Amino acid sequence: MAELRTDLPQVLAILGSSDVCDRVEAPAGSALLRVAPNEAMLVGTDDADGVRADVPGAALVEAVSDAWTSFVLEGPDASEAFARVSELLLPEAGWLQGDVAAAAAKVLVEAGTITILVPANLAAHVEERIRADAAEVLTR
Amino acid sequence: MALSIPCDLCGHRPFTEFAFGGEWRELDASDTEEEFAREYLPDNPEGPQRERWFHAMGCRTWTTVTRDTRTNEIG
Amino acid sequence: MGSFEFEGRSVTFRPGDTVASALYRHGVRTFSRSLKYHRRRGLYCGTGDCPNCSMTVDGQPAVRTCTVRCAEGMRVERAGGWPNAERDLLHVTDRLHRVMPVGFYYKTFVRPRFAWAVAERVIRRAAGLGALPPTASAARKVVRHVHVDTLVIGAGLAGLEATREAAASGSVLVCDEGLAARSVAPGSAPDPIEELRTAVASLEHVTLLDEATALGVYEWLHVPLARAGELVHVYPSRVVVATGATEEHGVFPGNDLPGVMLGRAAAALAGPHGVRPGDRAVVVVRTEEGVQHLQTLIDAGVEVVATAVSPALVQRVPEGAGEIVAGGDVHEARGGSSLRSVVLRREGLGKRFECDLLVLSLGLVPRDGLARMALPGEDVTVVGDAALGVGIAEPGGLDGMVCMCEDVSMHDLEQAWDEGFRNAEILKRYTTTTMGPCQGAMCGRALSCFAASRDATPAPSPVAPRTTARPPARPVTLETLAAGVHEIVDRRTSLNELHVAAGARLDRSGGWLRPFSYGDWREEYRAVRERVSLMDVGTLGKFAIAGPGAGDLVDRLFPCRIDDLEPGRTRYVLTLDDAGYAMDDGLLSRVGAEEWFLTTTSGGAGRADARLRNLADRLGLDAHVLDRTAQWGAINVAGPLARDLLERLADDSIDAASVPYPGFADLSVAGVPCRAIRTGFVGELAFELHHPRRRGPELWAALADAGRDWDLMPHGLDALELLRLEKGHVYIGQDTMPDDTPAKLGMPWAVDMSKRWFVGKRALERMGELPMARRHVGLEFSGGPRATADLRGEPLLVEGQVVGRITSAERSIVLDRPIGLGWIRAVDGGFPDRLRTGSGATASVVTTPFYDPDGGRMRG
Repeated sequence: MAELRTDLPQVLAILGSSDVCDRVEAPAGSALLRVAPNEAMLVGTDDADGVRADVPGAALVEAVSDAWTSFVLEGPDASEAFARVSELLLPEAGWLQGDVAAAAAKVLVEAGTITILVPANLAAHVEERIRADAAEVLTR
Repeated sequence: MALSIPCDLCGHRPFTEFAFGGEWRELDASDTEEEFAREYLPDNPEGPQRERWFHAMGCRTWTTVTRDTRTNEIG
Repeated sequence: MGSFEFEGRSVTFRPGDTVASALYRHGVRTFSRSLKYHRRRGLYCGTGDCPNCSMTVDGQPAVRTCTVRCAEGMRVERAGGWPNAERDLLHVTDRLHRVMPVGFYYKTFVRPRFAWAVAERVIRRAAGLGALPPTASAARKVVRHVHVDTLVIGAGLAGLEATREAAASGSVLVCDEGLAARSVAPGSAPDPIEELRTAVASLEHVTLLDEATALGVYEWLHVPLARAGELVHVYPSRVVVATGATEEHGVFPGNDLPGVMLGRAAAALAGPHGVRPGDRAVVVVRTEEGVQHLQTLIDAGVEVVATAVSPALVQRVPEGAGEIVAGGDVHEARGGSSLRSVVLRREGLGKRFECDLLVLSLGLVPRDGLARMALPGEDVTVVGDAALGVGIAEPGGLDGMVCMCEDVSMHDLEQAWDEGFRNAEILKRYTTTTMGPCQGAMCGRALSCFAASRDATPAPSPVAPRTTARPPARPVTLETLAAGVHEIVDRRTSLNELHVAAGARLDRSGGWLRPFSYGDWREEYRAVRERVSLMDVGTLGKFAIAGPGAGDLVDRLFPCRIDDLEPGRTRYVLTLDDAGYAMDDGLLSRVGAEEWFLTTTSGGAGRADARLRNLADRLGLDAHVLDRTAQWGAINVAGPLARDLLERLADDSIDAASVPYPGFADLSVAGVPCRAIRTGFVGELAFELHHPRRRGPELWAALADAGRDWDLMPHGLDALELLRLEKGHVYIGQDTMPDDTPAKLGMPWAVDMSKRWFVGKRALERMGELPMARRHVGLEFSGGPRATADLRGEPLLVEGQVVGRITSAERSIVLDRPIGLGWIRAVDGGFPDRLRTGSGATASVVTTPFYDPDGGRMRG
């Protein structure tokens, strides 16, 4: 079985040229996602001022936490539940981005926990889908 | 399902994750005649076609590929 | 033990029975009526490959009863036939065979013209395989995605062997459309296959799926498996097809009479099901397994009166096989409603045998459709009987049913050949052979052999040309194909719960769930015109564009002048496509030296993002786009008292100098940081407050509270429709056509042709040389319907000719007269200014805006 939990993550967006994005480092406790050649995302922190200071030359550094909602799947059947709403092949650990329940999502995998970040305006839809399609393997 | 597009950052992904940007076209034309051809007379080849794809479900960047319109092979 | 219902009767079944075997034991011999000629059809293949045993089970039509296990309380009935399958009066169509030759529907009922319409209706009702249940199924099909190294399709001997081999080097998923390791007929296979199954099931990394039907082998390697309650999408690195072979379909006159059966069907009945398929039988043995089938029949007590056997197998024929006809063939099967006698032929001489059962074991035809769907280069291999070749053989007799699904006889193929259809693919399309439920399992070989044998040119290889195999490999319901397809994806703002609590009527618009009205939209309208009102516009597309190249990007994307936009100022922008047509509109604000903020329509946000990124990429600009559509909500505070309301809640000044029109300011409202943009869409003083999404409910509540003594109420899309219409503002997509240039829209001011370049400029130059053929206009009506809104969509006419259309219409409340927007074509070089509507009202072209033309109310 697996458990589904909703969370409001802390997210930072860094926009800049490739070289600038290459220089971004994840502060302790956060994950760095290079979502595009010219864009990096930090999940787990919203300290825009701190990061902006560390990355001079960035075109934009902004806390974008409001734009995202995360769904956390935990338990032995977490990947089984995920396989009901997405055809993405998940790594053992790491992250990737793609279609989850028709939303453009970022998925982080770590120690059996799958965190799915979706745009906040699709959160209601995605939660409905996960609960309906993975009902068999989710605890109440 | 069928066709997969090689995204520079994300690797080979099913085409359903992308929006199709059409045959590659020059941005501008030197005169109105050329402009008409550029806009309304694409090559539409039976064979390799240079085209644009947007990874809407992933990194949201544009990529240019050459796809054989007969076999869907890319590259 | 148990029972099920069959056409009002109760039929008992034993453990292991299929619906077909239970019905056969019960005495049913006519299992269906054929599609076109309503010929009686009995059990034939016994393996789920032919269409003969198809019946309606529990409301679902076209179920092959020879593969369905019995369940208590099932409802089974035959389809086709009128009034029923047993006594079918439409059987008379069989006598009309000559009048209804192959392709007759292309040649008959052409004149008089009405004849076909009538005939078609009659034919449709007379033909068919059953009625579709009119209501949707309640059970929801779940979708699963599975990634494996190897997928093995078919869990017989060859499939299980392949599974064991593949398991050594990776994960394996093996599936079977029936029960794994169930042999297709009694024989010597049972023990080894059971051992193999147990061995395989215990292997690590091996998953065994019973009753999972592979629908096709798609590119990238993707194989969907249909099961009872789910659709499993399998993505293997390699596929092994082990789907076995079917027994060859015999073609001779009378071959589709009930009582004619393939060896496996007869042996399955006689052996495991314990039902004697007949009393007196003629058996044809040309394969090894045919010998076993013969033995099974003899053991079950069937009197075998004659056995036609290939010379190579003569020695293997057991005792009790009746008269042995070595090298004999079936010449003809005769009977009325069922088989009564068979004529065997050898070396030109024939002999007739009275019998009620004819068993055919003529050969094996590979069931390799799935394998033939694979593209060259894909890792798809075939093993076992599915890998057998299909040799060209002499075609069957002079007549007989070739395609039992579609009622195509050998005679029909001859006729089609005579008419000029001279290869397998064309014959298939003209006669519809292989296009029925069996998809060529029975008739594909006969068709290929027929075409090959008639072909004058020598064949390059001894293998018969096969017609193209396409998915689905087995019939599949639309419900299954729709599983997991979620077309309706609704976005919601953070204020959604507030709207629901306020009793709003919510509906889909532009990909979002939005409030259309909270009660009476006219009251909401008045609140905007007379006092102050709130609207949730969080659905707007919102983009930050930053970087050294940001200015260049917006300058080249939008057709209007950009370089004179100062920080703090806003400008209305049209987005044109390459061809110069208006795709979207919105507001562009200059935030800083290298930062801009763009809003677009709700429905256009996704495309705007893609467009911005594309142009930045193509031009190689150092410009970056942040999509704030989800990140920020937006509330429009509109009405003459809008500023008064905000003054109660804002820490900063909101006077005309601080937040000018057109322009914006970043300030704090009720403690929530907002970007307040002056807008004019509804024609009143209005502030669009963009704020962090999560603080939306707090902001809305504070505004609603502060406006209580002014009787503030929110307004939705219904009120917005009239508010913007009174200002003559177009809705992109509702009032605009896909090929509207700014000039046609009456917005030439939105374009600065002196700019060096922008998207669509060259196209506008080219079209500027042509006369304008169409333009948008404001309209006023008289003599129209009571509800002006009914005028929307009506055509506009000049002297009875349609020259335009009304795209928006409503009775203006503040002006108390009917107004609208529409487009009209040029007539004789000019645009008419008086027209008639389709319903007979008069329409006059007027200038817009209708209300407050100077815009004083929104500029304050």
